[in-house]
Order: sequence, then structure tokens, then C-alpha cells
Amino acid sequence: MEHEKDEPIEEPTTDNSEDVDIDEFDDEETSRDLVVPGEILTEDTKNYLPGRGTIFNKDRSKIISLNIGLKQVKRNYINVIPLRGFYTPRPGDKVIALVTDKNPVKYICDINAKDRGILKPKNTVPRGKPRGYRGGAPDRHDNSTEKYDIGDILIVKVLSADRLNKPELTTVGKYLGKRRDGLVITIDPPKIPRIIGRSGSMIKMLKNLTKSNIFVTQNGRIWLKGENLDHERLLIDAIRKIENEAHTVGLTDRMSEYIENEKKIRGMN
Amino acid sequence: MPLIIKDEYPEKLFREDGKRLDGREKNELRPIKMEVGVLENADGSAYLEWGNNKIYCAVYGPREVHPHHLAKPDRGILRVFYRMATFSVFERKRPAPGRREKEVSMVIKDCLKPVLFLELYPGTSFEVFINVIDADGGTRCACTTVAALALADAGIPMRSLVTAVAIGKIDGELITDLSGIEDKAGDADLPCAMTWFNEELSLLQFDGNMDLEEFSQSLTLAKEALSKIYEIQLTALKKKYIEIQEKYSGGEK
Amino acid sequence: MMNIKRVISTIEKNYILSNLKKGERIDGRDLWQYRDWSIKSNVIASAEGSAEVSLGKTKVITGVKYDVGTPFPDLPNEGVCTFMAELLPLASPLFERGPPNEQSIELARVVDRGIRHADCVQTKKLCIKEKKAVYIIFVDIYVINYSGNLIDAGGIGSLTALISSKIPEGKWENDEVVWTGKYLTGDTLVNELPIVSTYGKIGDIIFSDPSLPEELVCDGRISISVTEDKITSIQKSGSATFTVEEVEMLGKKSMEFGKKTRKDLDLWQYKL
Repeated sequence: MEHEKDEPIEEPTTDNSEDVDIDEFDDEETSRDLVVPGEILTEDTKNYLPGRGTIFNKDRSKIISLNIGLKQVKRNYINVIPLRGFYTPRPGDKVIALVTDKNPVKYICDINAKDRGILKPKNTVPRGKPRGYRGGAPDRHDNSTEKYDIGDILIVKVLSADRLNKPELTTVGKYLGKRRDGLVITIDPPKIPRIIGRSGSMIKMLKNLTKSNIFVTQNGRIWLKGENLDHERLLIDAIRKIENEAHTVGLTDRMSEYIENEKKIRGMN
Repeated sequence: MPLIIKDEYPEKLFREDGKRLDGREKNELRPIKMEVGVLENADGSAYLEWGNNKIYCAVYGPREVHPHHLAKPDRGILRVFYRMATFSVFERKRPAPGRREKEVSMVIKDCLKPVLFLELYPGTSFEVFINVIDADGGTRCACTTVAALALADAGIPMRSLVTAVAIGKIDGELITDLSGIEDKAGDADLPCAMTWFNEELSLLQFDGNMDLEEFSQSLTLAKEALSKIYEIQLTALKKKYIEIQEKYSGGEK
Repeated sequence: MMNIKRVISTIEKNYILSNLKKGERIDGRDLWQYRDWSIKSNVIASAEGSAEVSLGKTKVITGVKYDVGTPFPDLPNEGVCTFMAELLPLASPLFERGPPNEQSIELARVVDRGIRHADCVQTKKLCIKEKKAVYIIFVDIYVINYSGNLIDAGGIGSLTALISSKIPEGKWENDEVVWTGKYLTGDTLVNELPIVSTYGKIGDIIFSDPSLPEELVCDGRISISVTEDKITSIQKSGSATFTVEEVEMLGKKSMEFGKKTRKDLDLWQYKL
């Protein structure tokens, strides 16, 4: 039986889409103005258009926020960067899935979204692999669900997702597949870009200072593994602090200060 | 058997000094305190103290519909579950949901629906659980108000918040925000709620007797009270974020 | 969406167990250490007695209400004290709405039995007129936030709510119950304080006061109620098995915990 080892995770970010590199919270055009649903963002509808998280009112005389978040003006679009929200799967997203059920033809996975994701056996083995590779018995994995078990944590990519169908997943790809150790925590999905930071600055700092391996995914889930329990606890505390303070300025510096301080207080090196 | 102390109401609902039994002026609201994000296991949550009313609200959604057959293929569904704790009222209430609770659940659901974009989430459900742990009049209004906060806290896109208040008539006078005694012993009770994106009424019920002039005045009183309560909601929603910003801003922007 | 799933990931279970084997719990406590208690009494104006108890992040609100009714035929001069628990959907996505399920019934019954078999609620003092009228005391436990170990929180909540109660006193006059103008307070209602301690077992390792992740991955649990010198009830749940030595050890530990908790929490301070 082919033995799939956990691959070491080198890259600091998930490399699927361009906008992951943009940390909206750390962006110059994001103000620190906190807005709530129904709040009027502007009445100058001649010069501005509703962007993300906003909408025209009935007579198009005002632009209104739909979420609780930070007001952002980009070119002539007014956006609201949400501080709270849920994950909506998009094709290409890398997410952490938990296998919650399986039947002979597919795995059913919790991906922290409104629908559970479907992982078909054909998407768990690379294409084009001939049966009976390495000789011996034919590989049964590509049409049965024996590779993974209920309770397994998998790093998957979303193949397809739309309004009406359950998202389809795959474990075929770089850094994808089953994780055998470490642990997974879940944070508010809108805060994920803040954990990564502008050009990965925040996550690089976290990894170095806590000597941990971290994999951040789009559905708010973060896989991590540190040298020991103390480092892992500190890392988790740091992530929660970032989650709470995502909407403030100077966070990256403050976080490295926090971690250094805590290491002293907790007697860590 | 009857309880040892009976739930009796006084003859007059105004004091000698012209104030209401709890010391309020005719158009004075009870003290209101709100907080969001109080329940970590829910997607969104809020807690409200309004006079002696104490209410917790949790929102889960969007998530799969159980039982399946209730799911709609073209839109999400909103379900509201208003429940009162056994010890929240004078005479212990039986734990199982009663008819009144089912009616109030439906009224609150109809009230909240207009602010949501259910058609964006086909096949899913949004569930709002409201638990009154201490009740003292105007619970359906308090519950609507806290539910709007919990929905916003869950990050669910909304056209605006919703605010509710009960206007009433006691001893012939119109008053704002009925307490428990005033509700039970008074002449009229008008709970109403407003959705702010269109400034229209989305919850409206009435019990009692009023002429058209009084009714019209009541709606004016309602509008005034609703604006004040809306301000409290907005503050509560922003509060925890602003406190954190102020803690770390050092004057920067 | 949620952290908590009905299915717990294997890596989480392994993580908790491998750390336990090194004597470390993931929240930094040692094996026999309880999380912090926070207790407030008289929080519900409409209730005769009430308590809001937090154990770590688990939060439980307990209320006491009374009624007057006819006694059970075989106990004509004793009142009745009855317990109910509701696991509110507010508290966790694992709790479904609907009539009480196994879990909530177990919570109510374990708290009930721990208290009933001690000389705790003084049901003989709850008689107004033999065979005709007795007090019925309802202790209702509502779980507001689930973060592990509902039983211990429910137990302390019930005791605090009872101790802080103020129930109108009735007397029998002209074939009916009349108010004397006075109230029964906690010291009339309650005598001994039985304390329940819950332990979790994962693999071979036993520990106190399971937190949420520990409770979700544990193989079994055992709750032991004790008074100053007697065991009053035990409940083992889950599929784990315990050796006789382990059970005896836990009985001893529970006595120690009971004494310590009674002293630390000083529940009698909540009497009105």
C-alpha cells in the first residue's frame, strides 16, 4: 500500500488566488471607520459605486453597509471589509476538511461552510497512474473509499462550488492530503488574511518566533505544529489575539512584541 | 393549588407623584444594556437586559436544514425559536414550548425576514434561538431587538438592524415601554418594530382599546422610543471593536 | 461556522492523549486541577432562588420556583424537590432543540441523585398540612454555554440557587393555604452540601473537570457525589472501563475535592 507521508509545509501562504496576498486590514485604503449593517456610507452616489459588502438603497440615493466591518474606499468603489462572517467556498480555495462520513462512493467532509464538501475517490489519486503500479495487486483506491477514514484531517482544494451544488474537493496536488499530526484551530474566516499579513509578513513572524509550522487556509482553519505544547499554546494565544485585534493598526509589530514578552513570562526560549 | 402569594395588580398604575409604579415618567424607557459576542459556540450572539428582562440570543447559519424536507431549493429559510425559562415568570412555566411561544416565534421571524437576503443561500437555514431567562413585560420587543444584534454579530449580511418597543395605555394615559404589571393591568399594548433600511414597521400587534387619535399618538411615541433604542444597539455592536481600537491606537489612524 | 463537530478529528484526539501521557493538559492545568469557578446568586428577579455559575467557560443558570400541591401518598408529610435540565441550543451546535434527550436527562438525574441521597433538601420541613398541602420545589438548570463538565457546574448551581432561595411561607387555615407574611430561606431548605466531582478518562489516564475538547474525545466519565464523609451517588458514562483500584482512588479524591470545594466556594454566603 502506498504510504503517503505528510509533506513539510514550506510556503507561508496558500498560493491559490491573487487576493490572498492582499491583507485588506493592512491596506492604506481601508479606514479605521467601523460601520454596521444599514449604516450610510455615502450619499454621493454620483461619484461612488457600491462595492464589496455594500448596496444601494431603494432610490439609489445612498450607499449602505451590509456588514459589520471597516469602511474602505478604492478608486470610486466603497467597500466594507467584514469583521465577522462565514466561509463561502470558491474553486481554487485550499481548505482544511474533516471527514465526517463516508460511503462506498464518496467521502463527506466538514469544510466549515454552509454545505459539506464531497470528495470522490477519483480525486484522491493522481490522474494517469496506471493500475498495478509497482506491480502486485491493482490499486483499489481510485474507485473505493478506503484511503481515508472518518476523523481524518485533510488539506484539500475546492474543485467546484456554486449556489446550488455541494462543493467538490480534491486531495491531489502539492501540499494536499492527509495530516497525521499537529492540530487544527478555527478562527473567523474574514480574519484569515490578517494572519497571513501583507506579503506574508505576519505569518512569517509567527512561524519564526514560535518555531512552528503553520498552514493557513481559506475556510478559517489553521493547521499548526510546534516544537512542544508550550510553543503551540503560545501560537494559539497569538492567533486569537490577532483575531481580536485585526481591525487595529500596528498589529504586526505589536504581535512580535507580545510573543517575545510572553516567551519571557512563560519561561520559554 | 394556588401559589401562596398571589400575582395581584394594584388599582392605580400611577403613583401619587404622577410617576409610574417603577418611578418612570410616561415616556421614559427602562434601563437597557446590550452586549454582543457573548456565546462562543454560536455563529453570532447577543445578551440584553431591559428593565428586569434578561435575554440571551444565539444565531446559527447559514447551515444545513434539519429536517431536510423543510429546505427550500431557491432560498434559505429563517427559523426563530422564542422560549421562556421555567423560572422567568411569576408562576413557574412548564418547560415545553406553549402556544404563545410559538406565536411569538413566528411574529419575530416575520419581523426579521425583510432585512435578510435569504435568496442568496438556497437550501440552507438561519436559526435564531432566543431564551428569556427573566421576563418583565415587552419580551417580544426585547427579543426582536436582541435578535437583530445577534444576526449582525454572526456576520450575516443585513439591509439594516431592527428595533422594537411596546407602547401602551395605562389609566387612560399613553406610555412608552410597558413593564410586566403595566402590560397585564393596563388598557392597551402596542408592540411594534421598525426595519431601518426603509423605516417601515415590520412587527405590529395590538391588544386593548384606543381611539384613532391615541393610536396615531402611540405611533409617534413609538418612533421616538425606537430611535433611542436603535442608538443603544449601534453602540453595543461597535463597542467591543472600538474599545480595542482605542486601547491600541495611540492617536493614530 | 463552528469549531465543534460531532466527529472529532483523530489528530485532535491524539494530540490530547499524547500530551496527557506527558502529564500535560492542553489548557495548562494539571490532571486534578479545576478551572476557575465564578458564582453569582439572585440573578433572576422572577425566581425564588437563582444562580449563575461558570466553571471555566461552561455557564449554567439555575432557578428555583415553588408550587403548592398534594404530597405523594406514601410520604404524606414531606414536600417534593424535583430537578430538570435543558441543554439550550444557544450553548452549543451539538445541542438540538426538542424534548429533553439522554444528555439533558442524565444531567438532571445525576445532580438530583447526588442531592437526594444526602441530607440536603429538607423535604420534611416542606410540609404545610399533612396529606393536604406540601411545597413542591422545582430546580431548573439551563445550560447557557457548553465548555465541558456540565454536571459539576449544575451541581454547584443547584446548591447555590437553593441556598439563596426565599420562598413564601404558608400555613393551613380554614382548609386553605395562607401566607404567614414570612419566608423560608436557604437554611431551612438546605442542610448538608453534597459536592459532585466529575472525572474523564482517555486511554489509561484519568483527570478532573474535563474541558470541552477533553470531554468530546474522552472514552468515558465518572461523577461521584459526596457529603463530608459519605458517598451519595456515582454515575459512570461512556464506554471506558475503570479498575476497582481506580474507582476507590476516585472515591477518596472526591472526598478531598468535596472538602476543598465546600471551603473554597463557601456557598452559605449566598443565603439571603
